[in-house]
Amino acid sequence: MADYVHPEVLVSTQWVDEHRRDPGVRVVESNEDILLYMQGHIPGAVHIDWTTDLQDAVRRDYIDRERFEQLCASKGISNDTTVVFYGDKNNWWACYAFWTFKLFRHADCRIMNGGRKRWEMDGRELSREPEPKYPPGQYQAGEPDPAVRAFRDEVFKHLKAARPLIDVRSPGEYTGELLHMPDYPQEGALRAGHIPGAANVPWSWAVHDDGTFKSRKELEKIFLKDAGLGRRNRVIAYCRIGERSSLTWFVLTYLLGFKHVKNYDGSWTEWGNLVAAPIEKGPGRQAAQRPPPERRAEREEVHQS
Amino acid sequence: MIDLAAQPPARLDEIVEEFADLEPRERLELLLEFAESLPELSPDLQAQRDAGLHRIHECQTPVYLWVSVEEGKVRVDGDVAPEAPTVKGFVAILVDAFTGAAPAEVLCAQPDLLNRLGLAETLGMVRMRGLSAILHRIREEVRRAAA
Repeated sequence: MADYVHPEVLVSTQWVDEHRRDPGVRVVESNEDILLYMQGHIPGAVHIDWTTDLQDAVRRDYIDRERFEQLCASKGISNDTTVVFYGDKNNWWACYAFWTFKLFRHADCRIMNGGRKRWEMDGRELSREPEPKYPPGQYQAGEPDPAVRAFRDEVFKHLKAARPLIDVRSPGEYTGELLHMPDYPQEGALRAGHIPGAANVPWSWAVHDDGTFKSRKELEKIFLKDAGLGRRNRVIAYCRIGERSSLTWFVLTYLLGFKHVKNYDGSWTEWGNLVAAPIEKGPGRQAAQRPPPERRAEREEVHQS
Repeated sequence: MIDLAAQPPARLDEIVEEFADLEPRERLELLLEFAESLPELSPDLQAQRDAGLHRIHECQTPVYLWVSVEEGKVRVDGDVAPEAPTVKGFVAILVDAFTGAAPAEVLCAQPDLLNRLGLAETLGMVRMRGLSAILHRIREEVRRAAA
């Protein structure tokens, strides 16, 4: 891991096993599946759910600053706590929670490389104990950081200025050819396809089958050489609801050291429903290179997330 | 096939009532209990699953369903990966509620089942989409098998 641009944000399962009891460290599990934590979690880890904890139940947005402070305090997280995220599905939701913590300017966030899958593969302990209670944290959140989040108006400007946009969904979602369920609108959006000019770099190309991230060299080939991005580019990443693109945002920002990457969390479920927004269908700017051989078709995640 | 006199399966109503009496957190615990009690597939169905048959392609999570109607009674078998307990719990509810019911009863099971179980709020809109697809699929297969 040492050769990434910001290697300190990525920790191994072994590091977590050794440091999970440190008073300055809080391990946070964030999954797509809300029951997984109850089924077994890293001993001492707390649970933060992307729907019920991080999102506002009424308007389509994240919780506000005050509720973020309450959430952190209730999980025993203070401003100076080292928060280590891990989860299911190659750490999508861990990256999403990490990104949300960065939105509120939490200083020290880390990702456990490989997530739940790697922890289980390593044969490490899982606990079915109820979520532990820690002494309340002291937390003062910052105003949401506009440097990490793009809203749709900014995406329009980005598009006009021909700045790089990357669509990290599977190729079928990108081209708009994905078959959808009878009686269900495509992916929760009324239109299929991608934002014109967006390059398709599926999120899955950045991880190995065990959920760990590829080496810096491999990632540079995918994002710099093949997708043609530069470290100083202003890049906006999107997917369907912003979770897969938080993983790509993490890779670009921390593993490759890009300076200006934003996650468009409105993503396709916003863009594909906007009246009069431009949409392109077909191959567009799909990287000529196919995914590496270990990437099997079944891993091209499509529905539900 | 429209049977105007049909009611949803009685077992489904029992399960809905069981959920209704609980706090949101306890509902999740009950859903996990369902997930962990989903019967194992018979060796024959396991072989079909391992051959990739009967997979529900609408779901991102590997979900396998077998729906049949014999002597006027529905039978549902299902299998879901252990790393997707929410989906597994929902499949287990449907297997429990629909197996042994008449096709007409299954066909009039309300599509808003997740709301009635009190899980809609906890699971959120996005998660519900895949689960609704499973119910939809079972109803379609029962409709076909009973035709």
